[in-house]
Amino acid sequence: MSQYMAVLLVSLSLPLLLSFWPPLKFYRRFSALIAAIGATLLVFGGWDVFAVRREHWSFRPDAVLSFRLLGLPPEELLFFIVIPFCCLFTWETLKYLQRKLEKV
Amino acid sequence: MIREYTLLALIFSAAVPVMDKICRTGLMRKPLFYVFLGVIFFFKLLVNGYLTSQQIVVYNPAMFSGIRLGSIPVEDFLFGFSMVSFCLIVWEKSG
Repeated sequence: MSQYMAVLLVSLSLPLLLSFWPPLKFYRRFSALIAAIGATLLVFGGWDVFAVRREHWSFRPDAVLSFRLLGLPPEELLFFIVIPFCCLFTWETLKYLQRKLEKV
Repeated sequence: MIREYTLLALIFSAAVPVMDKICRTGLMRKPLFYVFLGVIFFFKLLVNGYLTSQQIVVYNPAMFSGIRLGSIPVEDFLFGFSMVSFCLIVWEKSG
């Protein structure tokens, strides 16, 4: 496994596991999940494709898989799925905690 | 001369509050959003800090300001801010 892939798996592990916890009910808003992550992947992944073409940044070859998609290592594209998911998880968890606190 | 990454990061960061207004999501008026940014900031330091300090991602000095917080270019914070805000706006709008 590449070093970058390991970073993604660690980032995703806890949010993914906890998102099935009933009070958060992530699976219930599946279409919103697809819309939010899909739009982020398109817009910010698009920015990334442009940035790599313009040589704003690059990737250490031995830290990523060897093939490229639109000029990006696959990990970098997965980043735009994993991190938005983690953000939505964080947001929904904070909303849940706020509701709990308001009831006290 | 302003560098390309700096310019793009500023444009996106300025566009997101406008998008929040147009979409009437009102995210940036919610105190909870700033708690969210704080939590994300912490995890960003971990993930982005690791990616940059390990040089998994390497930045072209000619394309950003050269200012870093630890190993992280300041532009990355604007990239992160605009990305997570954009994602939440679409999420709230789709709700």
